[in-house]
Amino acid sequence: MNQKLYDNLIRYILDHQERFYRLAYSYTRNQEDALDVVQNAVCRALEAYGSIRNPDAIHTWFYRILTNECLRLLKTRKKDARTADLEEADAVYYEQAYHRENVDEELDRLEPEVQTIIRLRFFEEMSLKEIAEITGCNVNTVKTRLYRGLKQLKETMEEAALWVN
Amino acid sequence: MGKLTEMKQHYEEIPIPGELALRVQQEIAKSRNRQSQREFHRLRYARAMRAMGTAAAAVVLVFTMALNTVPVFAVEAARLPVIGGLARVLTFRAYETEQNDIAVSVEIPSIEMIAQDTGIRVDGINQEILDRCSRYVQQALARAEDYRTAFLETGGTPEEWAAHNIKITVDYEILRQDDSYLSFAVRGSENWSGAGNETRYYNLDLTSGKEVTLRDLLGDDYENLANESIRGQIAEREQAGMVFFPEDAGGFSGISEDTQFYINANHNPVIVFAKYEIANGAAGEIEFEIGG
Repeated sequence: MNQKLYDNLIRYILDHQERFYRLAYSYTRNQEDALDVVQNAVCRALEAYGSIRNPDAIHTWFYRILTNECLRLLKTRKKDARTADLEEADAVYYEQAYHRENVDEELDRLEPEVQTIIRLRFFEEMSLKEIAEITGCNVNTVKTRLYRGLKQLKETMEEAALWVN
Repeated sequence: MGKLTEMKQHYEEIPIPGELALRVQQEIAKSRNRQSQREFHRLRYARAMRAMGTAAAAVVLVFTMALNTVPVFAVEAARLPVIGGLARVLTFRAYETEQNDIAVSVEIPSIEMIAQDTGIRVDGINQEILDRCSRYVQQALARAEDYRTAFLETGGTPEEWAAHNIKITVDYEILRQDDSYLSFAVRGSENWSGAGNETRYYNLDLTSGKEVTLRDLLGDDYENLANESIRGQIAEREQAGMVFFPEDAGGFSGISEDTQFYINANHNPVIVFAKYEIANGAAGEIEFEIGG
């Protein structure tokens, strides 16, 4: 086993756990689920650290695991909602939400892959190249999805221009 | 304020629950536990394999020197229960390990001379036993690992693999021990296939310290004597219903230099054929006492 890599990974996790949590929460909008997502991601990472090929890429490697966990949770939720026919209940919940959540809610309604790119680019301030590594798409696909997301959010182009390049 | 800026502000304001650090710590502690267990098994295995090599030379050397130089030591050794008074077989090294759900259990024997002034040296034969056992374990482990890889690559799960309870065993059996002869078998076996099993018989003449040959026991005409005796016994057993492979289909075709035997209480050689060697597997090992 590579003890140094393992120790580095643990240090990285301890230093960045709050960022992991915020990202997870922005998907789940719920404390319990966000905690579960982070815990699962940490567990997976510590089990699979042997698959890190480039020790300098721990950051993107870990975010790939983390975003996968987030998307997995959204998927199971969607499935649960379908089977339990809870979509109506969700709508009620949204109507009662504060204005402040309404902005976030618009993001939550985008395709999950597009949500991820917007969160990583704007909230986590990652480069398009890093996002490409995390999502496993090439940079052009990332760009296309990013523009599509911004268009759907009807974000003003001036505002968007501050971020896209 | 643009939507993105507002969203980002919300994002930064997401409160961090105290439970987060606890949950992350918990996961790290679990992982460290698993790591140290894995490391423990790996080290124990590596240590055992290494020790088999170095300790062999060291212990044999110490024992030989002690016999020659410290009289008390020989007296002490002689107090242990011994059949016959010249030599005995002891477990020289025993260990158990496990990795990838492959269990290894090893008991390596070695001969120790108890009587003084015999001039008999057993270092060579002890080294041979040790080398043979080490080699067998390594080869059996390689076979088990190949099996595991193939099993997992063809869709088997690690849980199903663990349920196989794969085990590699090396042990020995003393067959004869008296003032004249020391006869014992060292066996290596794998519980998932009969093909890897291996038995080697050691017969030591305690008056000369040499390994006993069939010629020593049966005279110069030993080959004809043994072959005739075995053919006769095969015929008798076939009468009784046992089935042997025909000679032209891999059956008995005469003994060779590699033919294995041990010495029984009558001081007769008992020739042993491995499972599948001259009859089907159900017959197991087949023995023929020669003479008597």
